[in-house]
Amino acid sequence: MSPELEKCPRSLLVCEKSNFLNEKSRHDIHVSKHNFNYKISVLIPECGILPANISSVIHSFSPYYLVRDLPVYQLLEETFLEPLVKKGNFYALSYNTKIDEDNAIALLSSGQLILSLDKDTYEQLGLEGRPSLYNHKKAMRFVVTLDLTDKSLTPGTKRYQRVLSSLKDRLPLRYDFLFTKYNTGSDEDQTLNKLLSQYSYEEHKPAFSQHTLKNMPCPTLYPSDIQGKTLSCDPHHFLEWLGAVNLDISCENAADSFLSTYVCPEPQSSVSQALLCTVTGFISPENVFVLLQELRQYFDEPKFTPWISLTVHGFMDSPVSWGATEHGFLKGGENLYNFVCFKNQDYWLHMATGAQDGCPP
Amino acid sequence: MEEPSKFERYVYKNDSVYHYMKISLVLENGNKYITDAQFKQLITCGLKDLYGEVGASFPFDLLKFDQNELTGILRVYNSGLVKLWSALTLLGSYQNEACAFRVMQVSPFLLALSGNSRELQFGDQLTL
Repeated sequence: MSPELEKCPRSLLVCEKSNFLNEKSRHDIHVSKHNFNYKISVLIPECGILPANISSVIHSFSPYYLVRDLPVYQLLEETFLEPLVKKGNFYALSYNTKIDEDNAIALLSSGQLILSLDKDTYEQLGLEGRPSLYNHKKAMRFVVTLDLTDKSLTPGTKRYQRVLSSLKDRLPLRYDFLFTKYNTGSDEDQTLNKLLSQYSYEEHKPAFSQHTLKNMPCPTLYPSDIQGKTLSCDPHHFLEWLGAVNLDISCENAADSFLSTYVCPEPQSSVSQALLCTVTGFISPENVFVLLQELRQYFDEPKFTPWISLTVHGFMDSPVSWGATEHGFLKGGENLYNFVCFKNQDYWLHMATGAQDGCPP
Repeated sequence: MEEPSKFERYVYKNDSVYHYMKISLVLENGNKYITDAQFKQLITCGLKDLYGEVGASFPFDLLKFDQNELTGILRVYNSGLVKLWSALTLLGSYQNEACAFRVMQVSPFLLALSGNSRELQFGDQLTL
């Protein structure tokens, strides 16, 4: 049989181990750089009811907005630039645009506007960009990055006029967008609503759900053994088990079963109950960070479980994964990360990406 | 209380042994009653038709099966991914009725199958 048939796309898994109290810990940077988050899931073994503090953090997540048919040049207009883009904490991602087929637009909190364009759109638009890192033989996809906070793109400059006229007159691009803004003060709440009032938009709250799972096997994890050599199970098996829990897949199969031979990885123990809660929508990294801080405090009181887990899934069709690292969709567009928080404030961070992704930071 | 640990970082490239596929069976004349064993047997037959007994002699798991939606999650060794995917693509009939498998998501991480942002739909949007 041809060896070509046995190849498969590349994947990367980065595992970091540190302590939240360590000054040099980069957990805050990893969370803040992952701009676009679709789904969060929290797994708490030996817990039946979601603690009130965690529940209240989740229910106070910022709303997100679906804006229909927004012209891309609007993101450069002064009405958007000053109150939203330059102040930060504002995220925008084109909705229902597939990164491997269509054009995709993203605005990061840092003020960078990323346009991932197919060849025709790129040539018609006439803005300076570079070929995508994930082109095959011919360059079919190009990425234009505009730093809207840069001096050369201040309203009034030649470059600004040129970019604005390309997006407004030469090739007016219009897409549905998802917007979210993390509000640091109560007076900013209405800015976004006022600006959106001229467009067709819907406000949404992230969807929340929770399940209590009973009598399930659970891998044993020791903070000191992240590689799973002696005391813990190995990272791939752990992430596979987390996937099984999230997807309601049975972990109790016989080795000779016709249907499935999947079992919980060793070493394992049995827990009487576990709480799984999920939040889905367009969630800002700031919200994720606040949740992570709250989860760390779970162990302030004695608990039966030695660990809890937080998984965050990125958008498959985002043009970037962490920071401005280009992201693509080959056979899949996964870019997810998972925290395992331990009693002593140690943590593990697993960051997983697919074929068309740079190595997570 | 254990001592706080030192920083460690490991990068695993292509270290995932399996790939996972989320698939859906679409029948021309609407849904039939199909058990999980029949579903798996259908895929195994498709593999044998395309690759023969020896070519199809690699294991795959039907991790989950939804009888109402006729969707399933498969786990296969990396070396078998292309063969399994191609067999699913070319499988055209079940009990003399036209059918097709739709591959909805493929990933080396099972966890990624629980968070597919392409499923984020609103009100009047066309379904994928």
